[in-house]
Amino acid sequence: MANLLEQLLNALALAGLLFLVSAGLSLVFGILRVVNFAHGVFYMLGAYLGFTTVALSGWFWPALVVVPPVVGVLGALLESSTLRFIYRRPPIYQLLLTFGLALILEESIRVLYGPTAKGVEPPPLLQGAIDLGGVLYPRYRLFLVVLGCTVGVAVWLFLSRTRAGLVIRAVAQNSEMADCLGADVARVRTLVFGAACALAGLGGVAAAPMTTAYLGMGINVIVDAFVVVVIGGLGSIGGSMAGSLIVGAAQTWGAFYLPETAMVIMYAVMGAILVFRPWGLFGEEE
Amino acid sequence: MTPLLETRGPTPLLETRGLGRAFGALQAVAGVSLAVQPMELRAVIGPNGAGKTTLFHLISGLLAPTAGHVLFRGDDVTALAAPARCRRGISRTFQITSIFPELSVLENVRIAVQLKIGDNFRLLGGRAVLEASEQRARDSLRLLGLDDRADELASTLPHGDQRLLEIAMAAAQEPALLLLDEPTQGLSPEDTAATVAVIRQVARERKLTIILVEHDMDVVFDLADRISVLHFGQLIAEGTAAEIRANAEVQKAYLGGLD
Amino acid sequence: MIPSRLSALAALVALAVVPWVLARHQLSLLTDLLIAGLFAMSLDLIMGYTGMVSFGHAAYFGLGAYASALVLLHFAQPVPVALLAGALLAGAVAVPVGWFSTRATGIYFAMLTLAFAQFLYTVAYKWRDLTGGSDGIAGVPKTPLFWGGPSLASSRAFYFLVAACVVLSLFVCRAVVRSPFGRALQAIRENERRFTSLGRDPRPFKLVVFVIAAVFAGLAGALFAPFRGFASPEVMFWVFSGQGLMMVIMGGIGTLVGPVLGAMLFILIQEVLSSYTEHWMIFTGVVFVLIVIFLPGGLVGTARRLGARG
Ligand SMILES: Nc1ncnc2c1ncn2[C@@H]1O[C@H](COP(=O)(O)OP(=O)(O)O)[C@@H](O)[C@H]1O
Ligand SMILES: [Mg+2]
Repeated sequence: MANLLEQLLNALALAGLLFLVSAGLSLVFGILRVVNFAHGVFYMLGAYLGFTTVALSGWFWPALVVVPPVVGVLGALLESSTLRFIYRRPPIYQLLLTFGLALILEESIRVLYGPTAKGVEPPPLLQGAIDLGGVLYPRYRLFLVVLGCTVGVAVWLFLSRTRAGLVIRAVAQNSEMADCLGADVARVRTLVFGAACALAGLGGVAAAPMTTAYLGMGINVIVDAFVVVVIGGLGSIGGSMAGSLIVGAAQTWGAFYLPETAMVIMYAVMGAILVFRPWGLFGEEE
Repeated sequence: MTPLLETRGPTPLLETRGLGRAFGALQAVAGVSLAVQPMELRAVIGPNGAGKTTLFHLISGLLAPTAGHVLFRGDDVTALAAPARCRRGISRTFQITSIFPELSVLENVRIAVQLKIGDNFRLLGGRAVLEASEQRARDSLRLLGLDDRADELASTLPHGDQRLLEIAMAAAQEPALLLLDEPTQGLSPEDTAATVAVIRQVARERKLTIILVEHDMDVVFDLADRISVLHFGQLIAEGTAAEIRANAEVQKAYLGGLD
Repeated sequence: MIPSRLSALAALVALAVVPWVLARHQLSLLTDLLIAGLFAMSLDLIMGYTGMVSFGHAAYFGLGAYASALVLLHFAQPVPVALLAGALLAGAVAVPVGWFSTRATGIYFAMLTLAFAQFLYTVAYKWRDLTGGSDGIAGVPKTPLFWGGPSLASSRAFYFLVAACVVLSLFVCRAVVRSPFGRALQAIRENERRFTSLGRDPRPFKLVVFVIAAVFAGLAGALFAPFRGFASPEVMFWVFSGQGLMMVIMGGIGTLVGPVLGAMLFILIQEVLSSYTEHWMIFTGVVFVLIVIFLPGGLVGTARRLGARG
């Protein structure tokens, strides 16, 4: 019982991080029809910038506030200086372009920070463990669960309750409606791209105290996020949420019962879903 | 016993029994039962959104029905996927032109033949397959008057010729049943007349059974042996041109609404 | 037709004489370029001719490299046996991966192939007993062509083996794309729905070409291991898969020869960059972005466009 609770929380913490990344990936696909390969690198960038902020200020909380907008602005700048020019091309070109961006960013980080992983101290409030009715559970992970849920709910509220969110969802579900936005399309694209990068950056900052900031965390998370959106369906926030929970659970239980082959479980789940719904649980058949 | 057999008549080439397809709450095609005899030219008419294209998808197997059956030459083919139905002899065109844009006109038609008859998993060589299918493709192009454009890229053809190319692809497969979804859509009056003439010629020379969706009433009354009228997914009338002209329900639902 | 035959002949002659013209390290660089060219060409089969963008093609190169390295190191077989093993292992793994991946299309296919490739990468990384983990397998020997046969230890001999493999593969791939099967692939690339309604399910075609592409990528990897003397997880990494796509785009998608040239140019650019700066990967990324934006047709496509204009 105690074990189950612990694992449930672990799965939720992981799902929260995955959601922060995959929701942005999915939104960007919905609006821009681009699969942003560099998305994982923005997550990694968030982690490293988080490390820098903590190192400079000595505090964790400012990082959580400052880093996401910085990553978001960088993402928006990159979108408007490169991607913007090639939306009319076949999708492979956009994928390759974001691949190039990923190479540039990843290598820049390697140059700036060196090859060794950077640890980030969680804030004092979140250090150590908390007693949850007999189960000692790391406070920081509990924080991740709360953060993931909060952001998940916030994104969902934004998309379902605000005008801007409604427009975005409408466009995401029906690409032809992008034309109805007329002159605003370019701005919507840039804003959505930036916002998605900011979410990824937030995920990176939040992940850093748990995973450290390390090279390769970008590709790791993007592969997991790909699996999430393959399971959940691209362009659907509900799909990202469901996919994140499934992958979070598969990885957590996989790691517990089959430590050497944890990933296999994730792929088995993905394979099973693909056989029955090749376009994902919430995705639309092409 | 004999009279009973006679009232049944010969086996229709195509028969649908209570065919239906729902998209969520929307019943796009509902309980459609029709029988098309060999060599018949049948027109399906109805306002936009009546379910004509969906009916074609159900007959050709691109969509699975949510109710009913499709019988071809008396066999139930409801469970067969689109490729298998095509191989049995149902070829079709699409309302929105569907060709292989960056292949040559000839190759568009040739591949249609190859996919129907050929040894498609021949990885090396296969000259005989290529030549045999090319021969048939050229015949079909000649029939549709496209032989002088054989080497052009399909994407560079004008719209009207692309519509004809699609018919050439289907006809080259030498099907028993040809489904044409609005073959004259977007054509000028002259092109429409030419296309109608070509369809009539194809039907005669290839001894084809054709089902045709068409909006132009002149074309329909001119070409069709029998006409089926769809309205909100339901078959509301069926008969010869004269019968349909005289049908009050059709007048109300459709013909009146156009003028 | 005649000019392209002439240039093919010229290329063959050039390939035959360069070993006596180039210095040793240049010849070894050329061997590297040819191996990369074979890899890019195999990717073009699925990408250029079938319209399936695989983001995990490096996995099959890597499988070929590992199989070849293990066969050479542990069983001391002649090189062609190792090549066969590499090609077969890559092809065998591509069967289940392709079966799953070809259920999806477009971008989903790209994501799936990447996910499966990273899975294979992780296996190579973690299965230390077999693969040596992150160190990889070093000391892979260049065994002879057959027992008692000519040695492949000299850079000239190995160059000829590689050149022969690349030229042969090119001919085979050309025959494949011109066969009825290859024509069907191009129709699938152009319009999958049309293909389906003309009487065939596209999935078996996609699976078969996916496996063929993996076999040739495996062959390239199987040449790589004895040539460089090692196999390591790097060759299965996502970066290499993406570079493969770039080589194809740079050379000209759907031309087979173009991607070989694209690969050579790509590696050369990297060589030059890396001689100036140790952060050459950043500049590779920049080159990447610039080419995607400004030269979408690649070398062959751009040359054709200029030719048509001039
Ligand atoms: N894939 C689909 N999903 C949902 N609704 C559809 C789909 N295809 C067609 N419909 C709906 O079914 C109805 C019939 O469409 P269709 O068969 O294309 O009509 P027609 O060809 O007679 O104009 C329309 O209301 C259309 O919106
Ligand atoms: Mg229609």
